[in-house]
Amino acid sequence: MTANSCNIINIDGSSNSDAKASALMTGNEAVASGANKAGVYIAVGYPGTPSSEILPFLAKFKSAIVNWSINEKTALEIAIGASIGFKRSIFTTKHVGLNVASDPLMTLAITGVRGGLVVVTADDPGMHSSQNEQDNRLYAKFAKIAMLEPSDSQECFSFTAAAFDISEKFDTPVILRTTTRISHSRSIVSIQDITQTEGNFNLSPSNSDYISKNKSYIKDIEKFVMVPIYAKKRHKSAIERLKYLADFSNNSGINKIEYGSLDFGIITSGISYQYAKEIIPSASFLKLSFSYPIPDILVREFVKNVRNVVIIEELEPFIQNEISSLGINLKGKEYFPRDGELNLDLVEQGLSGAGFFKNKNTNTRRFNFNMFDDPENIQESLPPRLPALCSGCPHTSVFYALKKLKVPVMGDIGCYTLGALPPLNAMDSCISMGLAFGAAQGLSLSKSSTKKTVGIMGDSTFFHSGITSLIDAKYNSACFTAVILDNATTAMTGGQDHPGTGRNLSLDQSFSNKIDIKKIIEGIGIDEIYTIDPYDYNETYKTLKKALQSDKLNVVITNRPCVLYPKKLNYGKKFEIIKGCLGCDLCLQIGCPSILTSYTLNISGNSNKKLPFIDESCIGCSICKDICVFNFIDEIK
Amino acid sequence: MDKLIQNILICGIGGQGVVLAGKIISLAAFEYGLDIKTSEVHGMSQRGGSVSTHIRFGEKIFSPLIPENKASIILSFDIYETARYTNYFANEKTIIISSNRGKIPSWTSKIKNGLINSGAVAGFLKNNFNFLNLLDDKKIALKLGNIKVSNIVLIGMLSGFTEIKKDTWLNAVEKNVPKKTIELNVKAFLAGRNYYENKIF
Repeated sequence: MTANSCNIINIDGSSNSDAKASALMTGNEAVASGANKAGVYIAVGYPGTPSSEILPFLAKFKSAIVNWSINEKTALEIAIGASIGFKRSIFTTKHVGLNVASDPLMTLAITGVRGGLVVVTADDPGMHSSQNEQDNRLYAKFAKIAMLEPSDSQECFSFTAAAFDISEKFDTPVILRTTTRISHSRSIVSIQDITQTEGNFNLSPSNSDYISKNKSYIKDIEKFVMVPIYAKKRHKSAIERLKYLADFSNNSGINKIEYGSLDFGIITSGISYQYAKEIIPSASFLKLSFSYPIPDILVREFVKNVRNVVIIEELEPFIQNEISSLGINLKGKEYFPRDGELNLDLVEQGLSGAGFFKNKNTNTRRFNFNMFDDPENIQESLPPRLPALCSGCPHTSVFYALKKLKVPVMGDIGCYTLGALPPLNAMDSCISMGLAFGAAQGLSLSKSSTKKTVGIMGDSTFFHSGITSLIDAKYNSACFTAVILDNATTAMTGGQDHPGTGRNLSLDQSFSNKIDIKKIIEGIGIDEIYTIDPYDYNETYKTLKKALQSDKLNVVITNRPCVLYPKKLNYGKKFEIIKGCLGCDLCLQIGCPSILTSYTLNISGNSNKKLPFIDESCIGCSICKDICVFNFIDEIK
Repeated sequence: MDKLIQNILICGIGGQGVVLAGKIISLAAFEYGLDIKTSEVHGMSQRGGSVSTHIRFGEKIFSPLIPENKASIILSFDIYETARYTNYFANEKTIIISSNRGKIPSWTSKIKNGLINSGAVAGFLKNNFNFLNLLDDKKIALKLGNIKVSNIVLIGMLSGFTEIKKDTWLNAVEKNVPKKTIELNVKAFLAGRNYYENKIF
């Protein structure tokens, strides 16, 4: 067994002399490395799980301009401008973020590009951290543009690098579609010169206009001004382009048939390929890497040569419908679920259902538990663990106050969505980024509640798409209370910067472009603005109550930073539950992970009563001290 | 084929360092020269939820996820989480390296009656698994000076059950922790490794 020769790639941009260099990388890191390899010039995006780590990793190479944008639409528009300026650009987003950027995408699809433009969409089947599990492969078909689907980190690297060439050669934006299991899985990437990789796709640019070197700006209104007279022509070219893309899909070698048993064949893409390959390596495979447009000739060849063919794909029957439109009816979704993530067990079950092997008795694989132990009983009696706000999270007191005030709360997407879960139960909607203020206006207009409505969102979400709906609220004389939980970071996705922090990935950090949220709101013309310290629960409650009593549109902004980002905070104070506590459980209602239940403390005369205690993870925010109206929580001095 | 693949399931609560543990173990396996795939959890589930990382290494790995009933080693930072993932355990010989402590969020006990306690979970594990290693990792870590290195203690113990050399492990620990904390983390790793070496199997 030889050791892997090199584990860390040079991220300083210097050339790596060791041609066999390899690294263990997540899919996201590999996408970033591939973009770097292709000489990307501008990289932009808005954070969103599971796409968030691509840009920070790319920034480490210091070879491209890498920045977080205010939202996905703006990000793609920046990438488009760079492409018009003959530069290679990449835009990264999670699946739902592409909805935000879909307006520019759908027309970029017909203008085409100058410098190569790659759209990375990281989908989240199984909704590990998302509000839906839409299948963004459908965008490739919708927009009539090329799509690549890597199945491991190696392919993330080489496909991303190739995507820029494909974009320039065919005058199309290219979608690189990953999923959570691709983005957040680590596997080995060998960092070779990509022209040496298998399936050298023969991609010398056919049109010298698109070589992204030293091109100075030139106008081309027929290509980029999509008024009807020009757009009609461009749409025809986009339709025409599909033929060339299909030819590439069939003949470039990127889509491959791996012949094995001629009795059983599988057509698949992405992570599903890996599951199927592990379960039935002897089968024949048509692996779709360039999955739109599908390779019709290869599909026909495959079904001609292999007797039983089944399609394995996560989420929508995308490949299945494409193949069906060729007049070939194959089964897929009949055996594999249309919702959630696939895994080895589901793929095995599906293949078994499709008759690829005899029904396995899954019970034989299970071991016998001791007769006294029923593992299902034990699992059911384990403490349920919903995700929760952190110890010392400044959002905690706001949600606790809103719960007390019993008002309808239109919520949004971020850490604070956890305020909807027990025990806080203080948020009533989570649908799209920036929904809260628009929905608060609509809900208040509905007059379905006698109470004033609250719209609540974080600082990053406010910049993303809350500003527009707050302007709309003022313009239309809406009446609700807008709460902005300003913790000075984009916390849920790992602490990315945004206009409110003034820093960014490629910016010179010695100066700040910080944009003041309060000044924006003043600029809109809203004059009732409160700034509160959420660690002072009583002030928080009083201010929210006052704001809710006012019959005007008003805004409450909190001012405590996130306890995790940009650095972990500890206020150095420690709190304890002091003698005399009767276990009323009021302090449990804030859901602080540092307040636990003790099984050992008993009070005389009431031996079954469990008392809470505060463990060492407390960071000293002091919110619980305010919550305990009986003053049984005190600082340890 | 299974014999060649080592499947390690790491579980715990979001924020306990499950992702970091995954990075250390996978780097050790990688530097040893094995094919490797891992799968981790980011985003919402990380906030105090139940989280797991899958690590698989061997000659050739396809899926980054471990199938049910195929995990040969369990590394767990919370005893309740150990019991939660038993459907991944291969058999009674599955090696379990687990913290003997478990955290119950207070409001959980309020909304749900009949919760099992950690002693009963330990009893269940002892009844059914031959290679159960329950460690008071938090106490060991506190003795070393910082409770935060408790997961490194458990990784030290786990290292003994693999064919990967000790030096490779130490290198992987050093490369994944902040520079200032290398000494403390190495101590924690060796403390855990000692528990393995002094134990007779």
